[in-house]
Amino acid sequence: MQPILSIQNISKSYGPVRALNGVSFDVPESSVFGILGPNGSGKTTMLGIILDVLVAAGGTYSWFGGIPHAEARRRIGSLLETPNFYHYLSGYDNLKINATIRQLKEDDRDRVLKQVGLLERKHSKFQTYSLGMKQRLAIGAALLGQPKVLVLDEPTNGLDPAGIAEIRDLIRTLHRQGITIIIASHLLDEVEKVCTHVAILKRGDLLVHGPVNEALRNEDVIEVRATDMHALEEALKQMAGISSTKISEGTLLLACEQGTGPVQVNEYCISKGIVLSHLLLKKKSLETKFMELTNN
Amino acid sequence: MLALLSIEWLKLRKYRTFWVLLGLFALLLPLWNYEIASGVLKLGGSGKDGINLLNTAYSFPEVWANLGFWGSIFILFLSILVIIITTNEYSFRTNRQNVIDGLTRMQFFHTKVLLVVTFSLIITLYFLLLGVLFGKGYSGSFSGAFSDLKSVFYFFVMCLDYMGLALLLSFAIKRSGLAIGLFLLYSMIIENIAKGIINSYADAPYGNLLMLQCSDELLPFPLMMMTKAIISQVDKISKETYLAVTLGWCAVYYFAGRAILRRNDW
Repeated sequence: MQPILSIQNISKSYGPVRALNGVSFDVPESSVFGILGPNGSGKTTMLGIILDVLVAAGGTYSWFGGIPHAEARRRIGSLLETPNFYHYLSGYDNLKINATIRQLKEDDRDRVLKQVGLLERKHSKFQTYSLGMKQRLAIGAALLGQPKVLVLDEPTNGLDPAGIAEIRDLIRTLHRQGITIIIASHLLDEVEKVCTHVAILKRGDLLVHGPVNEALRNEDVIEVRATDMHALEEALKQMAGISSTKISEGTLLLACEQGTGPVQVNEYCISKGIVLSHLLLKKKSLETKFMELTNN
Repeated sequence: MLALLSIEWLKLRKYRTFWVLLGLFALLLPLWNYEIASGVLKLGGSGKDGINLLNTAYSFPEVWANLGFWGSIFILFLSILVIIITTNEYSFRTNRQNVIDGLTRMQFFHTKVLLVVTFSLIITLYFLLLGVLFGKGYSGSFSGAFSDLKSVFYFFVMCLDYMGLALLLSFAIKRSGLAIGLFLLYSMIIENIAKGIINSYADAPYGNLLMLQCSDELLPFPLMMMTKAIISQVDKISKETYLAVTLGWCAVYYFAGRAILRRNDW
């Protein structure tokens, strides 16, 4: 299947600072694609480039298999960085401008305003809106014309917990309708709960990308102890399904591949004549995994 | 083209600053000229003591040159309006949003260029209307009304020159306060200093060919023309040259603005 968006070797510098180093990935159709990374990792720069407000130093990107970029943007609902609206116009009048530029035939402003809970305030000027309401209007603008693809940069910025939950539900609903959603976030929780695919950026480098369960596979760690720690380590190093071993504070830590758990480890040790004095399965959280990926 | 202008219209139709500045321009330009024509504003004194040198200058065809000269001062304020409208896009970051929603960068650029051309056309039409009203009022007939219509065209070119420079400054500087400050400093002080320096060293007044001065030369101060006519002094630089240079500057604004918007991050 043709990817919705294909990014090839995109680079970008701000003076001496390398914001993106040859990043390439594809966004498959109907995915919820999370671009994940700590602050300053290049997420917004990436989105700015594929929306043509920033100029890449190198590399190319293509939407929908390579249609003209401006035409592609009219078919995409986007929210980049901050809500950008004319302060002196009402939310309703602002959306008219978005819809006109997108060349939408039907006026569905009331529908999207209802969807983001701003219908009652639609005739108030944008400058009178609270931070959360501005964010809601920006999400509403992205939903105009029911686009098949959404690009959302930190969509829950400025929203209260109820608002965050609403947006999460909205994303799930849209995903069920087959809409492709590209979402940039530094909030892991957000990504873990809604994304099907992920790309992790760190200081401009793409660390991993792919389906969430592959890219962020939760490797389990098993802690074991025995009287003779040295013999224990030697024996377990030979065991199939153990990807690495490490002794830490008198405990042997085992990184296991899928299908290898405490039962297999215990059986293996007994078969080697070793009796374990300690056996503990530790599930590694996504957060730990993310820290590992981005911190070193 | 109309699609781009209609987007611009959606942005402006409920913008109070736009209507207030435009309204003040529409009101004050005829009022100012009326006061001069009827002798309320006098040179060299006030009340009955002053000499009203200008009150005969509102009949056809002199009315065009006179209105044009005073109009050139009022155009400064509309140029500031152009700066406000354009830098607003940067402070609201709606320039980004327009592109994100599907304009190309060049379409965004041309929207603003079209705005300047449209403003210039509307102001020139208004100028034409005022000219007809004043001319008819002070000469009683339409005789000679159309013998100096090229001044109307000069006025249009001058609008393009002033507002074109204002637009380029807005794209280059992006911040309204700084852009307005520099525009006023340049038009009122810097250009005059530069013009003075150049003219005192060159064997012809080449300083008059500077960005805004060259279109000012198309519509000079009426008394200056009278004086020159009396002492039969011939200008070293012809009107045609001023016109060509002014149009040249407009082309410079256009291509420089294009280059800025095409290459930079938004």
